[in-house]
Amino acid sequence: MKRTLLKASVLAMMLGGLLGWSQAYGQSDPSGKKPVTSTYAITNATVFANASSSGSKATVLIKDGVIKAIGSNISLPAEAQQIKGDSLFIYPGFIDGASRAGITRPEDPKRPDNFVSSNPPDEIAGITPWRNALDQFSIQSSQVDELRKAGFTLAQILPEGGMIAGKSAIVVLGDENSTNLLKENTGLAASLQGSRGMYPGTAVGVMAKFRDVYKNTELTQDRIAKFTSSTGVSRPEMNATYLGMSDVVDGKVPVIFTVGNDLEVRRAISLQQELGFKLVLTGLEEYDAVIDLIKSTRTPVLIKLEVPDDKAIKAQKEEVSEDVKAQYERVKEAYDRAIAQAGKLEKAGVPFAFTTLGVKVSEVSKAMTNMMEAGLSKEAALAALTTNAAAILGIERIAGTLDNGKMANMVISTGPIFEEDSQIKHVIVDGKIYDYEVSKKKNGKDKGEAVDPSGNWNYTSETPAGSSGGNFTIEKSEGDFSGEITYDDPQGGGETSSSLQDIEVSGNKLSFRFGVNAGGMALDVKVSGDINGDTMNGNMVIADFGSFTITANRTPSQIAKK
Amino acid sequence: MKKINYILTALLGLSMQFAFAQTPKGSVLIKNATVLTVTNGTLENTDVLVQDGLIKRIAPDISAPKGVETIDATGKYVMPGIIDAHSHVALDVVNEATNPIVAEVRMKDVVNPYEIGIYRALAGGVTISHAMHGSANVIGGQNATLKHRWGSTDPADIIMQDAPRTIKFALGENPTRVHGRGNGIQPRSRMGVEAILRNGFSEALQYKKAWESFEATKNEKGSTAVAPQYNERLQTLVDILDGKIIIHCHSYRADEIYMLINVARDFGIKKLVFQHTNEGFKVAPEIAEYTMGASVFADWWAYKFEVYYSTAFNAAILQKNGALTSINSDSAELIRHLYHEAGKTQRYGGLTDDEALAMITINPAKQLGIDDKVGSLEEGKQADIAIFEGHPLSTYAVPQMTFVDGVKYFDITKDKDDQRQRISATETVEPIYLGHENHRCMQDTEHLFETANALFHTQH
Repeated sequence: MKRTLLKASVLAMMLGGLLGWSQAYGQSDPSGKKPVTSTYAITNATVFANASSSGSKATVLIKDGVIKAIGSNISLPAEAQQIKGDSLFIYPGFIDGASRAGITRPEDPKRPDNFVSSNPPDEIAGITPWRNALDQFSIQSSQVDELRKAGFTLAQILPEGGMIAGKSAIVVLGDENSTNLLKENTGLAASLQGSRGMYPGTAVGVMAKFRDVYKNTELTQDRIAKFTSSTGVSRPEMNATYLGMSDVVDGKVPVIFTVGNDLEVRRAISLQQELGFKLVLTGLEEYDAVIDLIKSTRTPVLIKLEVPDDKAIKAQKEEVSEDVKAQYERVKEAYDRAIAQAGKLEKAGVPFAFTTLGVKVSEVSKAMTNMMEAGLSKEAALAALTTNAAAILGIERIAGTLDNGKMANMVISTGPIFEEDSQIKHVIVDGKIYDYEVSKKKNGKDKGEAVDPSGNWNYTSETPAGSSGGNFTIEKSEGDFSGEITYDDPQGGGETSSSLQDIEVSGNKLSFRFGVNAGGMALDVKVSGDINGDTMNGNMVIADFGSFTITANRTPSQIAKK
Repeated sequence: MKKINYILTALLGLSMQFAFAQTPKGSVLIKNATVLTVTNGTLENTDVLVQDGLIKRIAPDISAPKGVETIDATGKYVMPGIIDAHSHVALDVVNEATNPIVAEVRMKDVVNPYEIGIYRALAGGVTISHAMHGSANVIGGQNATLKHRWGSTDPADIIMQDAPRTIKFALGENPTRVHGRGNGIQPRSRMGVEAILRNGFSEALQYKKAWESFEATKNEKGSTAVAPQYNERLQTLVDILDGKIIIHCHSYRADEIYMLINVARDFGIKKLVFQHTNEGFKVAPEIAEYTMGASVFADWWAYKFEVYYSTAFNAAILQKNGALTSINSDSAELIRHLYHEAGKTQRYGGLTDDEALAMITINPAKQLGIDDKVGSLEEGKQADIAIFEGHPLSTYAVPQMTFVDGVKYFDITKDKDDQRQRISATETVEPIYLGHENHRCMQDTEHLFETANALFHTQH
């Protein structure tokens, strides 16, 4: 509650103002929200109907959220709104295998008076298999916007929580007025994460507790069966934990285990082999040592859609001793090994998909590019985002490819997807079209030649709470940038300012950070954007609150531009 | 069916581990060495032939079978791989400190084969370590006996799968600090520790009885019996009572040592080893008569109140009283020179070479229940071998090569400098430090219950 209040107040004060709808009202619909038609045709586009398609010119007709026809000679109904697709590339909508976009952590339950940390109630200890991700999900979250903007149209959402967090669900990232539910109770989210300061507190305790919960669920089912079929049997104790675990024990839904490295992969698989449940692994970051194991156990895996940052490599110095050079070399090897893993998984023939859980969605495209440079084929990359994900989630009948009768979920880009200059222009979710601005000037030749961001900039930022703005200045002296930004003081009382940190320019990309003091809490704000001449378009990430668009214009100044 | 299986496995005391992996087995002929067999004296100018991971022959003038590599060990000493009966190397988690009894947790679940400490131990001639749960609980988790097969990525490959189960117990200040002073529950005192033990075992007996009566009546016609609650914590205590698990108990004071001997006798428990045991010299005859002995430090004490009454003669006194005695490290640093630690028993107690070497080889092997497989150089045993320049009990000893199952995992002349298996891609490499972060018995427990800082800083 405190957090939500803070969030609201920070946003309201810092970025204060009112959001005005700029869209024209529909004549027959005073709310202006109802589209004129639900039939669309994207004409003469380059269509990639599935992950291995090489693309062919076609028109795609969709109606009421379903693909009606794909072809070159289809007759378009009169109500079809046409989008000229001559220069556009259409792909099946991406599917996020596991996500917490739009999920809010439920409030911690109150500790009972007789609380003993060595034997806490399940709910406090993070054992909540009865919880449901849908109860924690909001389609209106900016995280959902961000995910959709990156091309994702469907996601399996996992609830927040501890070692057994609760039931996942599959949703479309669609209309604000819909529940967007596709399938509920698709799995049970679990992890090796212990509870702070109580039992089970560590991975070794979690594994023991998991066995305990699982085996006692089985025994509870046996008791219930006996109670139901015979007389004279004592009433079985049925609690929420065992009831919540039942579908897993019955093999109806998988446990979706979040694991980071190969050792955790082995731990989850050893539990699975010991107890016999269905398993899906998610969040894998370091897994090249267990590719054979993943393959031989046929465990479905959702790889974290992220690559390690290369800051440590960039920070390596030139003039160093042989010893240090050898150590540097090993860091480089580790980096190369990390980004090559997805390609190795492909070569081993493992049909993997991705998760964006814990991932910076704005860097998804960069991660894809890095993985592909390190050996992942474009087909496998696309399959991971579409068909493989659909298969792992059990929705391949309705999603994953562009075919007649499938859901109208697609990504439409200005060039072949994942190529450097391609940008996503539209994302269609469940038949609803989302438009995104594409920046005009973006060609490879400019890369490497950094623009000069020096000057005074006026900026405005759009958030769900409204728009706000201020100025920032950037000065360049001896190759280093420095600067300052003004903004509405979250503590109230007008404007205040902070100095800019980590100002970096690469090509036409500018990024910097600054700190904001909001009621004693230090917030980290990251800004990045593309500069075209004297305008900048980008986004602003405020701590954990989300990402918001920012636009800025350079104003003539005698101070900064010496 | 599955259910019946696991109940059976639990009752039979079998633990379902990873499928047995085929670990590497090597062949080698070590020529012309001074062979310290430990159990069969010292043999000059002798060869040791290893085939497929086992010691095939120990004799002079063995000729190498075809394809078997020969190592000239003229002037060098060959001894059994050193065994450390108390270590926390290669564990991702040491303490599940949250309950006074956590017998259900298994250190085998959190073995980390990438930890560099394994290689450092090999560089000190150590081939086997006993990776123990910490000492925050009266009854801690089940330990893992590790074979140092450095380079494996699968934890199952470094777990000694044919070693018996062992479990950690702890008496005295650590469990009373964490649970009593830190969390306001029993045990607050040594009396409370005893109560936890006795109550635990009594409850385990009831648990065993409940399952036995269910198993006996469930198939009777018209039976209304339903299965009791499953509880791996109590089941593990049942396994201890049934003699399937060896207790390794952290202890310092004579009174608490004698207390546990009495508890064990009352419950018919025979498989019991004391760890640290600094006041063991006061109750050496009792330890000798009723237990599988003590595993001690050579000369390490005074790091907290209960460890002040100590002597470097402890190991020798225990040994002379007939108690099976070993010397351990409990430290990622000490583990690299356990041969020095064993040598101290000659300075303080005048033990013979064989007696001193037994403290780090066959004696810990007996305490871990693996002496039929390792711990001495005997034909038929597993070929865990260390080659030294200089006698291992000499101050000038330098380990040269270390073999596990006949496979060489350490070679002082040939190994590359940087032996780390896993490197972070996102961190600039920092220098590697030895020292300090050595004692993990109480790792992660300091802030567990946000206890006011303990009075004593060192917490072994």
